[in-house]
Amino acid sequence: MSDTVRSPAGQEEARYRALQAVDPRAPGALETFTTGLHDESWRVRHAAAEGLRRVPDAQGVTARLISVLGERGETGARNAAAEALAGMGPVATQPLVHLLEHEDPDQRKLAADILGQLGHPEVEDVLLRALSDGDLNVRVAAAEALGRMGGPAAARALEGLLDTPTPLLRLAALEGLASLKRAPPLERVMALVEDPALQRSALRLLGLYAPGVATERICRALASPVRSVREAALVALGTQAGALGPYERGELDAVARSVLGGIPGVTERVAQALDGEDVQVRAGALVAAGALGEASLAVPVAEVAREDRLLREVLFTLGQLGPDGRRLLLEGMGTLSLPARTVAAEALVLLVDATSVPELCALLEWAEDDLRAVVVRALGRTRSPQAVAPLVELLADPALSGIAARALEQLTVAHPLASLTALEAAVEQRATPAAVAVLGRLGGARVLPLLRRLARDEEASWRAAAVEAAGRVDGEAGLELARGALADESPRVRIAAVRSLGQQGGKEAATFLGLALKDEDRGVRVAAVEAVGAAGAKERSADLESLVRHGDSGLAMLAVRALTKLGTVGAGVLWDALSHPDAEVVKAALAALASAEASADGAALAVSLLGHPRWDVRVAAARVLGGLGRPECLLALEQALSVERDALARAALADAVARLSSGR
Amino acid sequence: MPRFDEGRPEMTLEEFRLLRDHVYAHCGILIHENMKFVMERRLWPRLEALGIQDFGSYHRYLRYDAQRHAELEAAVESLTTHETYFFREPAQLKAFCEELLPILEKRNAHTRRLRLWSAGCSSGEEAYTLAMLLKDSGRFNDWDVEVIGTDLSRRVLAVARRAEYGPSALRATPPDLLERYFIPVGVNRVRVRDDVKAWVNFGHHNLADVAGSQLVPRTDVVFCRNVMIYFDQAARRRVLGVIRDRLCPGGYLLLGHAENLLSLGADFELVHLKGDLVYRRPELPGGEGR
Repeated sequence: MSDTVRSPAGQEEARYRALQAVDPRAPGALETFTTGLHDESWRVRHAAAEGLRRVPDAQGVTARLISVLGERGETGARNAAAEALAGMGPVATQPLVHLLEHEDPDQRKLAADILGQLGHPEVEDVLLRALSDGDLNVRVAAAEALGRMGGPAAARALEGLLDTPTPLLRLAALEGLASLKRAPPLERVMALVEDPALQRSALRLLGLYAPGVATERICRALASPVRSVREAALVALGTQAGALGPYERGELDAVARSVLGGIPGVTERVAQALDGEDVQVRAGALVAAGALGEASLAVPVAEVAREDRLLREVLFTLGQLGPDGRRLLLEGMGTLSLPARTVAAEALVLLVDATSVPELCALLEWAEDDLRAVVVRALGRTRSPQAVAPLVELLADPALSGIAARALEQLTVAHPLASLTALEAAVEQRATPAAVAVLGRLGGARVLPLLRRLARDEEASWRAAAVEAAGRVDGEAGLELARGALADESPRVRIAAVRSLGQQGGKEAATFLGLALKDEDRGVRVAAVEAVGAAGAKERSADLESLVRHGDSGLAMLAVRALTKLGTVGAGVLWDALSHPDAEVVKAALAALASAEASADGAALAVSLLGHPRWDVRVAAARVLGGLGRPECLLALEQALSVERDALARAALADAVARLSSGR
Repeated sequence: MPRFDEGRPEMTLEEFRLLRDHVYAHCGILIHENMKFVMERRLWPRLEALGIQDFGSYHRYLRYDAQRHAELEAAVESLTTHETYFFREPAQLKAFCEELLPILEKRNAHTRRLRLWSAGCSSGEEAYTLAMLLKDSGRFNDWDVEVIGTDLSRRVLAVARRAEYGPSALRATPPDLLERYFIPVGVNRVRVRDDVKAWVNFGHHNLADVAGSQLVPRTDVVFCRNVMIYFDQAARRRVLGVIRDRLCPGGYLLLGHAENLLSLGADFELVHLKGDLVYRRPELPGGEGR
């Protein structure tokens, strides 16, 4: 025998593997796993608990597990049995309810604990009765269980316990009400918040009330010398703010500001909380920081962005810290973590003015791509002529050219001449074809000669840019260049031509688009399908109809959407599209139904999709039926609603039922 | 107060779920419903870059466009944060140096070979940190040592290979280590020394890709810190299966401090070190498998 297998770890592994190898259907499996529940190793006990869940005789397993719960002195086995019972599901409910009658209070307590974990609302009454148990531990366990899964009756009972003389029960009641998010009358909680033993739980509950008195009491707790009390207060403050939209916080912020402003050292405390581990505490600290409007907190606030879940609050709070806070951010940009830098830049976008260009350009020098995108937007907002040159330069960066082009458009409103001059220079120096597109958009007819010249350029990217830009500048010239470009050897140029034709519209464009729909290149065909819809070229409907049956789902989906735009979707085509294996094609067809004249056929088709395996198709079908307003579909919608499990689909079905019921 | 989301398209819940499911199918990363805002905000730049007006169109782009594969990678890169820095979670690193390295030195004395895997290495700070710690221990200087850094994002791997970092990445680096293992390359920027770089190899790997994991060699320790948070329970199980498969029997798995393997089966055993809790792939009963 090797050393490894003789070692405790090796022996444990052997027992673990042996249990994993047991067939749960084999005779004796129940006893083997039950023995495993008593193993000294938690891994082996865990494997035994998992194995028991797979034994087919669930009732027998439950009974055996309950017997293990009664084994005094076997703490590990009892915990493993409790874990297994909590995973057994509804079959364990009744035996556990019986166990609540057991003479041993320990077993009654375990029963209440596990029932709480099972979370089946039908045992609410039983747990309510357990609140009168003779044993305090059982009463507390029942209160905690009700706090996990209780309905209105449980909430009422927990509220009743707030007056009990037993502090432990009052505590369990407060915790339970907080978990259930049920707020009793404010004055009852306000009384309990003065009790040091209950203070933290009562504060947590205060977070459920509307801003005002509760906010004031929560904020006063930030003066507490006890860190855990301050943290409970911050959690409550975060909860209060969370119930409001970020822009509906006026009253809360005003109350918080008035109280927090009078607490010595509060800024340091908030800074400390912003750097803490607990997400809820940090959320509350953000609210406090925003209410204080304390610029010196800008950097710690930005650093909270390392927690994704708090991103929105961080952005909002930075907005509350004013220009001084943003200046501090800009100064500290180089030392911030990446997420903090990104939100800091986002906040700076709102602050920038014509003097900010040098700082923004310095950021462009070293910043990461995500951040550079934000900086580019900020440059557009400066409205400074100094921002034109860096933006034109950025048109050469494929990742940023789209954003830079839009930022340039913003600048052109204020500085048309400077922008056009810089763009023309960029094109002359052949900096990037992206400059051609922007120049075409901004320059108008004066740049047409340049575009004609570029349409004959030896590089395809320049030809494509010129052809597409010309379409935006002048219809006639655009058509002429597009026609020539359709014969270009480069698909990129042909795609540009097709897009241009889509913008032109008209008979001639429709004729050319017919050719493009048969192009050898998929990209050109895709662009052509979209262009037919954009151009309103109804004469191409037959071509599109044949594409609905195409094996390429992308083409089929686009064809249906284009036909919808044209308003020429026939019933046959719809039927083909609705039975397509790709959900996006089906949804495109449903959208066509919604926009078409309400017809019995259309409604019947939509009804047939209420049972579609994909939730998004069922949602789309419900929306269409709600929109068609045909009362004969109501029954089908109600039936679908009664069996629907997906939350979004249920909401769409409920809305459709309501619309048809009310005749909206 | 100006609004930070002015003029940008809103993501409907339906669009969120479609995009979320698409990303999940690609790499196992699950984005919870309460993260809709984060997803919306992180994908805005992608829509801007592509000139797409709404998230429904973006979803169709990801499904059908010829550039869809590249765009999906760009989307996933935007959705996963790459926040990391040198010598992160110092207590864990201390336990690694003081308690695990002596064990590994003894265990591997006959092969004089050591392999560490920084799974989800982002821009390389963790992988280089491990190499620096190994060098600093003085235990493995003439050994065959390799630290493998893998990540889903090709962009961060490019940064990792460049090995140049600024103040944010160095905020927890002790001054003496900064002196020993980095060379200044500009204002506020440093580069990792070549002898450290020589021990580190980077590669692209999707942790959800079970077949692709065969490219990662068997390792003695896996650092997979703050990666599991991106996965749901099912994907975590798959990833843990991959990690278990790539760990030598008896090898160690170190997770981030906010992470644990509760409810994820018991393929690993919990090891109580003096300074930390770590996980270990159990030894094979017969001692085979190395």
